[in-house]
Amino acid sequence: MTEEDSSAKMSEDVKRYLKLDPRSAAASEPPPAAALANKSRNFKSFEPPCPDHVLENVLENVLQFLTSRCDRNAVSLVCKSWWRVESQTRFEVFIGNCYSLSPARLTHRFKRVRSLVLKGKPRFADFNLMPPNWGAQFAPWVVATAKAYPWLEKVHLKRMLVTDDDLALLADSFPGFKDLTLVCCEGFGTSGIAVVANKCRQLRVLDLLESEVTDDEVDWISCFPAGETHLESLSFDCVESPINFKALEGLVVRSPFLKKLRTNRFVSLEELHRLMVRAPQLTSLGTGSFSPDNVPQGAQEPDYAAAFRACKSISCLSGFRELTPEYLPAISPVCANLTSLNFSYANISPDMLKPIIRNCHNIRVFWALDSICDEGLQAVAATCKELRELRVFPFDPREDSEGPISGVGLQAISEGCRKLESILYFCQRMTNGAVTAMSENCPQLTVFRLCIMGRHRPDHVTGKPMDDGFGAIVKNCKKLTRLAVSGLLTDEAFSYIGEYGKLIRTLSVAFAGNSDKALRYVLEGCPKLQKLEIRDSPFGDAGLRSGMHRYCNMRFVWLSSCALSRGCCRDVAHALPNVVVEVFGSDDDYDDTVIVDYVETMYLYRSLDGPRKDAPKFVTIL
Amino acid sequence: MEGCPRNREIGPKLLDLIPQGRKWYQEDKNNVDQEKKLELRLGPPGGDEEDHHHSAMKKKNNTETRNIKVESEDKSFHGFNGNHFSSSNKTSQKRTAPGPVVGWPPVRSFRKNLASTSSSKFGNESSHGGQINNKSDDGEKQVELKKEGMFVKINMDGVPIGRKVDLSAYKSYEQLSFAVDKLFRGLLAAQRDTSGGEGEEKPIIGLLDGKGEFTLTYEDNEGDKMLVGDVPWQMFVSSVKRLRVIKSSEISSALTFGCSKHEKMRH
Repeated sequence: MTEEDSSAKMSEDVKRYLKLDPRSAAASEPPPAAALANKSRNFKSFEPPCPDHVLENVLENVLQFLTSRCDRNAVSLVCKSWWRVESQTRFEVFIGNCYSLSPARLTHRFKRVRSLVLKGKPRFADFNLMPPNWGAQFAPWVVATAKAYPWLEKVHLKRMLVTDDDLALLADSFPGFKDLTLVCCEGFGTSGIAVVANKCRQLRVLDLLESEVTDDEVDWISCFPAGETHLESLSFDCVESPINFKALEGLVVRSPFLKKLRTNRFVSLEELHRLMVRAPQLTSLGTGSFSPDNVPQGAQEPDYAAAFRACKSISCLSGFRELTPEYLPAISPVCANLTSLNFSYANISPDMLKPIIRNCHNIRVFWALDSICDEGLQAVAATCKELRELRVFPFDPREDSEGPISGVGLQAISEGCRKLESILYFCQRMTNGAVTAMSENCPQLTVFRLCIMGRHRPDHVTGKPMDDGFGAIVKNCKKLTRLAVSGLLTDEAFSYIGEYGKLIRTLSVAFAGNSDKALRYVLEGCPKLQKLEIRDSPFGDAGLRSGMHRYCNMRFVWLSSCALSRGCCRDVAHALPNVVVEVFGSDDDYDDTVIVDYVETMYLYRSLDGPRKDAPKFVTIL
Repeated sequence: MEGCPRNREIGPKLLDLIPQGRKWYQEDKNNVDQEKKLELRLGPPGGDEEDHHHSAMKKKNNTETRNIKVESEDKSFHGFNGNHFSSSNKTSQKRTAPGPVVGWPPVRSFRKNLASTSSSKFGNESSHGGQINNKSDDGEKQVELKKEGMFVKINMDGVPIGRKVDLSAYKSYEQLSFAVDKLFRGLLAAQRDTSGGEGEEKPIIGLLDGKGEFTLTYEDNEGDKMLVGDVPWQMFVSSVKRLRVIKSSEISSALTFGCSKHEKMRH
């Protein structure tokens, strides 16, 4: 119904409700709250009287405007009638752990879902800590939603196993499908993408981000139908296979709404130029290889800077997969407008960075490799006053490599970029002083992830553990919701986290702590903790037991290469029926006859529908 | 996990850290001899490089030392209270010895080979037509895949969706042929159904003898395209790189003209 209709209906309903139906038992007085409440709760055998129907209509109209899922969750807890109305008006469903409920439960409760966000494997699976074929298949979800929500428009998946057949079913089942985003997914190939491209005629967004896409040698770009498309965003920078450039060019030409285009490294600089000339309206560009196919012949070389000049709307730049340094200055014309710049695939030195970054006054998000060195970070700090998010990845991700960045860079950033909210920083060495400085200079920090790549490495100046630095972070950054710790850490660091980390929702720990006390501090001290992932730390049964009162309220807990015994995990499983406890090792030729007491990996999560039925052989659910 | 004594109890060896500054370092050394025979080493034996960084306890490396378990002095696991760990010793001070630990540093696989990809600007891939076999940035994952089975891609004329088969699951050509039928029968029927009616699912037979509508061919490790079935099964399995089901009427053209490594077989 149109907004006018609904507001007209609403005011009628409200009027009727306020006047109160004279036939109702409550007559001329507003019914006592308790009575109303009781009436709403007796939903099973009791026919709700008129005021409740009216209330539901009112609610339905109001709730349509409520989009935040936290608010919606709160609304649904008020009473059964509100729960029902909320269920009917929730169009976007977010499921943080695909195993926390069954697809049937989803389709049973929510009848009008248009958008589904599903997350599968826990994050440590990205680092080979989980055996392949563990699960998180999209298949049962696509089958269930295909039947229940033929009007489904958007699917956003993270760390799920998606097959070509799943994609084919999706393409077949949802005629109005608009938005497919696959982040860190695997199990499918270019043939699956081809089916989606071909059959989803309303497609606006096709974003493949950091996913593994097998090369089935299918020219999927050519599979988009002829004629004008609705495409607004096309990202395929993670697709490690060549594409038909002519088809891509043709596609871009007939996609007038295209704003975001992220090409893969098989698109050369010359080809990028052609694309940019045909799509000057782009706001986000993934530049592919940024390297010319052919050695340039003087005057014949395209004017790359001109192409960038023509793209006045570009605010987000990424790619640079095989950067040829002499062409980097071509992006200068767009620097002043950039809000997001991703150099994290390019081996960029400080001297290459400085002339570029000095024009990037508006940058809010900056990703780079540590090849920019402390010097490069200082240049960023000098110019990028609006910086909100910084990620610095290691060019050489080994424990013993040289390490071109350190606390010097971190401190410089903290002094220059006071509005910083989120940081991910890989380095070889760090000092408590630099970390403390950041805690004091950047009070807006919500995400602090520091990875000192050498395990157990202390402050390289004082030789002390990194306890004080991380302690300062949790103490001073009052908005902190996500924390990843590293370096040499004792139980004391964790006592600080437990004491001050009252808003922390996600905590990552590796090679840290002395004893179970550390785990206890965290589990007892951090009331908002939802996701806890720990590896290679001396935490055992006592630590695990100390959190029994929490696990029902958390999304998951991961403990690998710690000191857990099977018996304790079993105790937890038996004590908490709403929690599923999985144990497995990375060795998947597991000998069933040998019962090993030591637990390599324990992954527990709450679930409304009990243990999953698709667990592979090597996973034991206690 | 072969070769491990049944009654072994596992005690991961971790460094015993006492929070009062450097004291633990001394305590470490006292335990040296006792723990020496229990130490789990990843580096070369011996070697006395001191390291003032006190890098770690040696955790077992999942990919390399999985089969090596160490018997703890305390046989009962429950006596092992999880609060302390007997420290390892010299190896913990060695900085260069530690072998790679799985998943550390926590960098995703596609970020790991930047050193090689960023330098190869004019690599052997061209933007179209070049074929990169099994290109994968993730060395570790590749290893795991191979461990599981022998997956090869298989495509079929007329079916846009390719699949994969695990050759280690079969012991003969007949079994493979049967599997191909199961894989593609439905898909083929769906593709052929152009009139909107129910596509009849016909079994795909005669893949090996040239008598059926389709024939199974493969590309070997030298890029040659051959008919499946001529060589002994094991020899086939060791040389096959991918499979293709083609129309029997096109056998001669497919095999003669498709010999170059860089040429794709077109539908």
